[in-house]
Amino acid sequence: MASNDMIKLVTRAPASRRQFLIGAGTALAGMTLGAPAIAQSKELTIISNIGNASQREVLQRIASAYEKESGVKVAINNMDHEAHKTAIRSYLVVGAPDICFWFSGNRMKAFVQRELFDDISDLFARENYKSVLGPAAGAVTVDGRQYGLPLGGLLWGLFYRKDVFEEKGWTPPKRLEDLLTLGEKAKSAGMIPVSMGTKEMWPAAGWFDHMNLRINGLDKHMALMDGKMSYTDPAMLPVFDKWAELINAGLFSPNGTSFGWEQAAAALAQKKAAMMDLAGFIKYGFPESQQDQIAFAPFPEIIQGMARYEDFALNSIHVPKNAKNKENARDFLAYFYKPDNLAAFLETESAVPPRNDCPPSKDPLVNAAVESLKTVEGSAQYYDRDTDPDMAQEGLKGFQEFMAKPDRRDQILERLETTRKRIFKA
Amino acid sequence: MSTFWRNHRHWMAPTLFIMPGALLFAVVIILASAQTIWVSFFDWDGVGAKQWVGLANYAQLLDDPQFHVSLKNNLIWLAMFMLAPPLGLALALLLNQPIRGMRVMKSLFFVPLVLASVTVGVVFTWVYDPTFGLLSLIFSSFGATAPALLSDEHFVTFAVVVAALWPQVAFCLVLFLAGLNNLSEDLIGAGRVDGARGWPMLIHVILPQLREVSFIALAVTVIGALRSFDMVAVMTSGGPFGSSTVLAYQMYEQSIFSYRFGYGAAIATVLFVIMAVFIAWYLHTLLKPEREGV
Repeated sequence: MASNDMIKLVTRAPASRRQFLIGAGTALAGMTLGAPAIAQSKELTIISNIGNASQREVLQRIASAYEKESGVKVAINNMDHEAHKTAIRSYLVVGAPDICFWFSGNRMKAFVQRELFDDISDLFARENYKSVLGPAAGAVTVDGRQYGLPLGGLLWGLFYRKDVFEEKGWTPPKRLEDLLTLGEKAKSAGMIPVSMGTKEMWPAAGWFDHMNLRINGLDKHMALMDGKMSYTDPAMLPVFDKWAELINAGLFSPNGTSFGWEQAAAALAQKKAAMMDLAGFIKYGFPESQQDQIAFAPFPEIIQGMARYEDFALNSIHVPKNAKNKENARDFLAYFYKPDNLAAFLETESAVPPRNDCPPSKDPLVNAAVESLKTVEGSAQYYDRDTDPDMAQEGLKGFQEFMAKPDRRDQILERLETTRKRIFKA
Repeated sequence: MSTFWRNHRHWMAPTLFIMPGALLFAVVIILASAQTIWVSFFDWDGVGAKQWVGLANYAQLLDDPQFHVSLKNNLIWLAMFMLAPPLGLALALLLNQPIRGMRVMKSLFFVPLVLASVTVGVVFTWVYDPTFGLLSLIFSSFGATAPALLSDEHFVTFAVVVAALWPQVAFCLVLFLAGLNNLSEDLIGAGRVDGARGWPMLIHVILPQLREVSFIALAVTVIGALRSFDMVAVMTSGGPFGSSTVLAYQMYEQSIFSYRFGYGAAIATVLFVIMAVFIAWYLHTLLKPEREGV
């Protein structure tokens, strides 16, 4: 069964591509009969990893509009978000689509270094993206060249329900002490202070990012991500000590390893928990009629005077190096990236548009993030996007273990340090 | 042409029939296994250039605490799975009574075999859920709180194996039921004439006739235990913090998520060796009677 599942995972991309080819072949045959001159290379394949139905719809709508305008046939192959993370590695090598979705930053760099993403600096120059993108362009730039277009930005922080906080007379915590006090109040009201499901491990790493950015700042955090700083460095100890204090105060969901973030978000929606650490997509966990109750608050300050650094993760869209229709792909990207189209696409996931000329959003969550970003002095992306994927795997596991067994701090850090030395050859 | 065929068909016909299977086996099993062993001597991320590291991956395995946990869990799987054949036999004996409605009972016991193991995994995950699961309902009816089995590093492997045992017992049950249908009436009759009933009848007359079936049940169970992967993936993803990971899952995790194909291949090779030992014993036992001309 094991090998079966793996084969399925690995071959899913080529299979769907083959289906597309059959479809495209038929379409092409039809077109050849009608208008032989334009039949060649007027096609485009996109592999999308979008899990959200309404966002998929928007993409389809943009693609159809583009089809009408340009006469290029666009086929979108939808894949499961998690399965796509593994499938992309095989399809970039054999059977690449013309456009695919991925994550900017280090995760993009991994493919750039293996020469699997196309250099689209020409598109950047032609459309003059640098002037409208600002700092977001840096997330898709390696050695001064651009390898993708940044999509929506996810600003990570604490979320709570307005109605609950109003009813109880609570205010979002400004400092870590406030978080502890609020935790006591929530517990006496029979609620979980901070909803946290670590079955998929990454939510614990987000909490680590917050703590480390608040205590050690961005430079040290990035040094750790780049493997230049040791996990056993004394600067790491206060991070884990403070974190252990929160864990021992019973701030987080009990048995957090048994469920994922969706269930944790549901607890917040059902008023069983007071707060949760996530990004704008938390609204998927809420019924539509209650989404206007969601409010955002930045992670509380820990060391006074430390500049505000946040996790701000940017998704991205790319042209694989092995794509067959690179010119059409660029053409489509330029169309897709028009302010109106991009804004419509991002609206559905409450993501912050990377372009500064997008029409203003009607989504209060987006506007809260945009407002909050104004006082952010620098940003990381997210633990598993900033560091080496191999390191991230061990790190996520370590943070998950720490949240369940805080007394194993030294063992865990020791293990992470061994892994860091192996990966970064330090 | 026809004389050529007539002269050679005694070997050509079987060869042609075996060819597709043999080719598939050679490519999918033998070639893939050989390649896996080859890859295990390299440091390789699955995409870029391979770098020869000799036995370094294996040396690292010995120092990897996760590997020891996986190996230990595989042994737990193996030991607990040994319960499946006796349980299956007991159920088969129970269900083999000529009572009205027994067919319905039999088919009910087959059900887990019909379900995909992913389904079984998901269902058991719900049963174990500490907030709304069946287990917590049972516990709370006694006024106790259910342990969160899948979050506890000591219980988690046992909880997963129990879920996996359910279809495995059903499978052994089917094998034994088929075996019980093929019992020789003469031998049983002769036994009865000699006064055998109950235990002596089971142990001296019935069980010897089920030897081959038991052997197959045992073999399938051992292989089932060693290749366990899907239940772990569905129920726990190897967690919490790797405490329910088995070798097959660790191999998957290292190759796919950590981009370490060489290391993953080394784990696969270790698993292969463990299985090879067992398969050698299996083939030896299977071929012995054949060679002796039985």
